[in-house]
Amino acid sequence: MPYEVNVDGMREVAELLDKLDKEAPRVAAQALYEGAGIMADAVKSAAEGIRTAPFKYAARGQTRPPSPEEKEIVLQASAGIARFEKNGVEVNTSVGFRNAGYAELKGKTVPIPVIVNAINSGTSFMSKQPFVRKAASSGGKQAIAAMSKVMEAEFEALTK
Amino acid sequence: MPSEYEALVAALKLTSIPFAEYGWKTRPEGAYGVVQLDFESGSLDGDGTKLDRSWEGSVDLFYPKLSDREDLIDEVEETLETVCGSSWYLNSTQYETGTGLFHAEWVFQVMDTPEDEPEEPAAGSET
Repeated sequence: MPYEVNVDGMREVAELLDKLDKEAPRVAAQALYEGAGIMADAVKSAAEGIRTAPFKYAARGQTRPPSPEEKEIVLQASAGIARFEKNGVEVNTSVGFRNAGYAELKGKTVPIPVIVNAINSGTSFMSKQPFVRKAASSGGKQAIAAMSKVMEAEFEALTK
Repeated sequence: MPSEYEALVAALKLTSIPFAEYGWKTRPEGAYGVVQLDFESGSLDGDGTKLDRSWEGSVDLFYPKLSDREDLIDEVEETLETVCGSSWYLNSTQYETGTGLFHAEWVFQVMDTPEDEPEEPAAGSET
């Protein structure tokens, strides 16, 4: 005896999945925008905590803290957000000083990433203050939570 | 101070590289290292207390000769592996044009778990 099975609503489910597939990159980019903003703010607030001392060349074999001028350059540059790269449903960006440009320091033109790197990783003549790593550690959880919130709200709106 | 960090400092000081915590007053000639605890990177909270705390720190190695690179890096990485297991990574390698020093920087994570309080013997129990 032949059986007939009817499942209601499958077409709606298929349509919804199709819609989600099309909308996913947009939702991901929107969430990433929110997360990247939080990370950039975290870097800026961590940079405000850099300890400084008036500039003095480090004595032989000793280190010096960053000068207020160097800190000001970092604060003025603030962390940039790279262009979003879309790859299917994946969206990537990075937050940092890679393309921050150049600044004038003691009459010389210095690349800003070099100043950031010297403060963040330290050198043989500058004591290190890893403010970017600190920002990544403290801002990461906040950024992930904010991104999840955006995605949940967007997907809820789509499924209604 | 997390005991794992103290163990790492002690182990690094036993290597052939002179190591100091939080920088040198006057750095030695040749290769040298600096180890420091940078910040608290996370914690597991419960019962209104921090049950576990994790800290992030860094090891910096400065060396003048590129030919020493492999031996020095191996020595630091073996120490990190012995004390921190897999909770470390090489964060950057740099070259200082002004001083001619090479610089390698590792980031490690250490845990600080408060030791359990010894349980009080039950009333009336024999000791």
